[in-house]
Amino acid sequence: MSTIEALFIFDEHNTPLLEHTYNGRPASGSTLLPLYLSHPTPRPSLIYLPSTNPATLLYSIVQDQLLFLAPCSSDTQPLQVLEFLHRVADVLEDYLGAPLLASKIESNYDVVAQLLNEMVDGGIISCTEPNALRDLVDAPSLMKSLLGNVGLPSTTPSSLAPSATPFSLGRGGGPSPRLGPSNAAQSTSPVPWRRANVRHTSNEMYVDIVETLSVTLSPSGRPLSAIANGTIAFTAKVSGIPDLILHLGCPGGISNAISLPVFHPCVRLNRWKERPGQLSFVPPDGRFVLAGYEVDLLGPSALDAFTTSTTKQSLPSLNIPATVSVHTSLGPSGSDFQVRLQLNPRFTGKSSAPPPSSASGRGGLGSRIAAGGGAGTSTAPAIEEMTIHIPLPSSVHNILDLRVARGMGDASYAPGSASIEWRISSREISMLMSQDRGGGVGCHATLSGTVVGAQDDDENGAGFDDTAVSLSTATYNYDDDQASSYQSAPTSTPQPSNSAQVDEKRRKANKILMPSAATVSFSVKGWLPSGIKVESLNVDQKKSKGLGGGVTPYKGVKYLCVSRRSVECRC
Amino acid sequence: MHPSNFAHWSLSTARDLTLEAARDASNARKTSTRPLPSAQLKKLLDSRSERDVLEGLRRVITMSYRQPPSQTLPFFSHVIKNVASPSLTVKKLVYICLLQHAEHEPDTALLSINTIQKSLTDQNPQLRALALRVMSGIRVPVISQIVSLGIKRGAGDMSPNVRRAAALAIPKCYRLDPNTEPQLLEYLSTLLGDKQYFVTGAAVAAFLEICPDRLDLIHPYYRSLVRKLADMDEWGQLATLQLMMVYSRKCFPRRTRKVKKASANSNTNAKSTKPTKGFYDSESEEEEDEDEEDEQDFEEVAVLDPDLELLLKSCLSLLQSRNAAVVIAVARAYLYLGTPAYVSLAIGPLVSLLRSAGDIQHIVLYNIVQVCLSHPEPFVKYYTHFLVRSIDAPHIWRLKLELLTLIFPHAQPRLQSLILAELSHFSHSGSLDPALVKESVRAIGRCSQSPATSPQTSARCLRLLLKHIGSADAHLVAESLEVIRHLIQRNPDAHRTTVVRLAKHLDAATSPQARASIIWLVGEFAGLDPENNIAADVLRILAKGFADEAEPAKLQIMLLAAKVYIHHLHANPPPSPTKQEEPPEPSASVLDMPEEEGGFRDAHLENPPPIEPLQKESPHQIEALYSYVLALTRYDTSYDLRDRARVYKSLLSLPSSTQLASLLLLAPKPVPHIPSPSETRKNYVLGSASLVIGDEGGVGGLRGYEDLPPWVKDGKEPDPSLRDEAPSSTYVSAHEVAKNMSASERLDAAAQVDSGRQRMLETIPSYRTSNGVGGVEKPAQKEKTLDDWLAESSGSEETDDDEEEEEEEEEDEEEDDDDDDESEEESEYETESESGDENDRLVK
Repeated sequence: MSTIEALFIFDEHNTPLLEHTYNGRPASGSTLLPLYLSHPTPRPSLIYLPSTNPATLLYSIVQDQLLFLAPCSSDTQPLQVLEFLHRVADVLEDYLGAPLLASKIESNYDVVAQLLNEMVDGGIISCTEPNALRDLVDAPSLMKSLLGNVGLPSTTPSSLAPSATPFSLGRGGGPSPRLGPSNAAQSTSPVPWRRANVRHTSNEMYVDIVETLSVTLSPSGRPLSAIANGTIAFTAKVSGIPDLILHLGCPGGISNAISLPVFHPCVRLNRWKERPGQLSFVPPDGRFVLAGYEVDLLGPSALDAFTTSTTKQSLPSLNIPATVSVHTSLGPSGSDFQVRLQLNPRFTGKSSAPPPSSASGRGGLGSRIAAGGGAGTSTAPAIEEMTIHIPLPSSVHNILDLRVARGMGDASYAPGSASIEWRISSREISMLMSQDRGGGVGCHATLSGTVVGAQDDDENGAGFDDTAVSLSTATYNYDDDQASSYQSAPTSTPQPSNSAQVDEKRRKANKILMPSAATVSFSVKGWLPSGIKVESLNVDQKKSKGLGGGVTPYKGVKYLCVSRRSVECRC
Repeated sequence: MHPSNFAHWSLSTARDLTLEAARDASNARKTSTRPLPSAQLKKLLDSRSERDVLEGLRRVITMSYRQPPSQTLPFFSHVIKNVASPSLTVKKLVYICLLQHAEHEPDTALLSINTIQKSLTDQNPQLRALALRVMSGIRVPVISQIVSLGIKRGAGDMSPNVRRAAALAIPKCYRLDPNTEPQLLEYLSTLLGDKQYFVTGAAVAAFLEICPDRLDLIHPYYRSLVRKLADMDEWGQLATLQLMMVYSRKCFPRRTRKVKKASANSNTNAKSTKPTKGFYDSESEEEEDEDEEDEQDFEEVAVLDPDLELLLKSCLSLLQSRNAAVVIAVARAYLYLGTPAYVSLAIGPLVSLLRSAGDIQHIVLYNIVQVCLSHPEPFVKYYTHFLVRSIDAPHIWRLKLELLTLIFPHAQPRLQSLILAELSHFSHSGSLDPALVKESVRAIGRCSQSPATSPQTSARCLRLLLKHIGSADAHLVAESLEVIRHLIQRNPDAHRTTVVRLAKHLDAATSPQARASIIWLVGEFAGLDPENNIAADVLRILAKGFADEAEPAKLQIMLLAAKVYIHHLHANPPPSPTKQEEPPEPSASVLDMPEEEGGFRDAHLENPPPIEPLQKESPHQIEALYSYVLALTRYDTSYDLRDRARVYKSLLSLPSSTQLASLLLLAPKPVPHIPSPSETRKNYVLGSASLVIGDEGGVGGLRGYEDLPPWVKDGKEPDPSLRDEAPSSTYVSAHEVAKNMSASERLDAAAQVDSGRQRMLETIPSYRTSNGVGGVEKPAQKEKTLDDWLAESSGSEETDDDEEEEEEEEEDEEEDDDDDDESEEESEYETESESGDENDRLVK
């Protein structure tokens, strides 16, 4: 029952990149790939392929456009295999640099081969801890300098990585300067997750807290669920064996805010249980995920507040940067829709918000905009990279007259595609925000369009069918003394109402074509919806070893709030 | 925080990726992947320069990953030549080639065995481990004995890494030659008792691989394994939990005990505050029990064996693991081994797994549904996690909807209405996916069906469904009616008015399927309340528009007519003599007519019979209606319709003998039961792949699926004293306790004592520590192994002194700057274990 029988990696064009067999005789990658691809998207992570020999359970993950496949011929724990695949991807990323690319794997097959051999032994997963692997396999850069291959690219993921992808799992700026003979590190580290003999010239520690919003708003604007999924990523570049204490704080008390935490094995659970908010740990070297948690932004009483009849005034306040609402079945034939985006004034970059002057903002169209050049203070968080997706039913054929009626941005829709995308760049957002002076209700932007469905091609779809049937029966036209008296009635019933109902019918038909939700994606730097912040990060000098006395590492903290199509508003 | 999740934000925009790719491709692809002429490559491999050899090896490995093995085989012998290279880097690469090609050229591969064997005694533990791994990985059966010897040596090695490699080599050796099993089991049992947690993890995995049934090997190590559980790496934890599942089922009989039921209040208290308290004293038992059998004063409560209890408690910290598989494995242990109180502990962590990446989320949802089927209540408070989002893939929302319906009966009324609102949103909004519409309508049906649902809620569900009938979405209407039909059939008496309401909706319903469904329902209830039944009336109206109906509806109208008629006959049995003579004629004509002649002549012959009675005694309207419909169908374009008409006609041709007809038409319909979709998977074990695949993988699970063993019968279990650890002094057990601390705790302790001391504790060869004060049995074992080893390796010039020296070196290497003396170390032990004890208590 070996777990891992083989590992296949394919690049973004599905050309095989790597095929590594561990155990047994699994079906080859070339037979598995077409079977995998023949499965309709979105493909589940576990596919059963009875047609191969032996019948195969095919596990798959996609990371950075690379496809990882692992076949299994017998029943194993599916999550074990999937977790393993994720670890493989993470380790490769750690070694080869942040975006994992086909070319990087291709130019480092030797390192990859060593890693794959270390990670699984005879089908049993043996060692996946990145730091432990560092002790066993040298990073490619070292190997390169040994070989003197100057022409090869260094594995640093270029200048792009630190700036554009500050939250990549790979060690941000490529391999940090590691002194000391990492090759000669034969000694095993006393801490299983930490390399032995870590030396850094400059000692640095970074905490990145990222919260991913997951909000669902009902058609009335009432939040049904609002959860922030938090992840604390830690980057430790500290010599020796440091013992760190990270103190998290939150306005309402940390234990009330955080629920369902998950920790890296290095975190001392007892300490957390005794004193919630304090994470005491010996970090692995490099970048790792220290903890994960979630915060229910609505609080436990959310359900009590939920009734169908309450008015908008009593809506529980939810402090999120942007919401959107969709208004459907507008216009004479009910085929128009309108999407309204509302940006929270807190994120304009202004510190004080004057009281709301008028409610005209609700209507969207009538409100007058006072143009002003008030630039917000830089300390206030601002929304960046906003995208609104409006998924459409598959029966929609085209969208006519798609335009941003108010506000800015760039809306796009390709006929036949499944959703409308409305992008608003950071610059445009700040312009929008600056227009809202004194409104205090934030600012709005509106997108409108008209749906065209398949039925509009053959004018009135449902009525047509009825007449067709009646015609075909009419051709029989038999004479029956008895039945003839009834005969006239049925044929007449659909006809008279037809013209009167046609509008109603079209409205109804168009109703099916309406979008049912819209999602917003954005990111906000320097702000967390949960309000959690790092109170302190200290090195426990007494417990730490190998860090010279008096050395205080440089510390950095970053907050980021993101939504990846996860603020959803229904209609 | 599951790392996978984390990796997702690293997914920089596609543009960045492509930019990077372009930049990388421009210089990288050319240099290293361009193939070299084979002669030149061979020259590189044969070179004396290490750099050239490395370059050559890299190229061979690159080739082997990109091309079939036949391409790289010519270089194999050149590669093998380098196996004796002093450079570790070269060795590693040679080993990789060796593993890949050994099977294709066993003879060449054998040439390297000697050198590898030498590496087994190398000073560098990393190389020893590597050599052992490679040697066992070469799939050439001839060398099985050599591998077995290598494992033996490795199992007694002082470096834990080598011991782990030995453990992992055991299944490989077994695969090479199953005859080596007895020796291998011996090594394995040594390794299972290893002090190093990451050795035991590998040993357990090996055990599961070669002899999962030899539970007798586990008994002596059960407690130490359980204690090491928290410290093992994730994969070791998984293997151990899997082993313990089977072990516990087979070794701890399920004892129950009648306990007086505690009040509900104390129940909830117990659940929330002290779920892990010992269950032995009667007090906690009383508190612990779940309110399963409310009607009884006494209820059965599981009494857990102390050893089982130990296992369940040590799992507790694993619930915070970052590895989803581990969390599921713990949940599995709690579900199948523990009590409901334990299960409720695992619910939160299970739900937290939904934060992870989509692929993991999918599998996790299957597992959550499985737990939820048996324990729905604790999931209620996590309802926000189960709300369907527009970005969810079909396989995700399907399971989420199921979860919502599963928790529905246990939710408070407000939540129930929220769930219903949610479901109706997805059912009527012109949804993105017709399948979603369908599924949410079904979900509404399941909600209203569940026994715990109050009548009002049920009625509300029905109202929601009735609203859909007029929709323009054919899927929605058809599905809604299907569900309504099920609801009505389950409780016909309560739904008499519903049928009337449905009939009213006939005007609104346009889809033929929907109309057919309604008509069928009306017909089905035609006999319920003869005095004021609407069936006949409905039939009258339908008959008017018969010509405009689609075929499915026509079929049902026909059926309705037959049913109404037969009910009519039952209600007013015809005066037998007069009627009985007449009908045979028309029936005869029915039977032979259509084949002979078609069209209008038929009509002439056919029509008279219905007319005649009508003229004779001005028949009841129902009879007239029936014959009218019959006449209509007789000339329909559809064969099917005409055939059926004929069947009904002949069935009902004799108004006095309706037995056969009522048997056919009025047969009681089985009440449809729509179980939760996952009910079919209910028998699969949590966490297995079969659970995800379901019966598609063949009934009884996929290949290699193992069902849960039944609990061992009381009295048949192995003697608990088998699990007693070696009759050792307190010292050993204290040491064990120290081992039980998590690595971080141990680090704490180490820092308290003095730097470096701790590491020594771990790395000191086990036999040496036990020589110090104490364990009696294990040291003896170890010494024996050492003796054996020495006896066997007398060939290779090693003496005890060498051994000692090596050991010293070992330690020197591993602890950079510590010189140790035995006595101090011991005193250290004491404090060590004490503080460990403290910590341990804190854990609990």
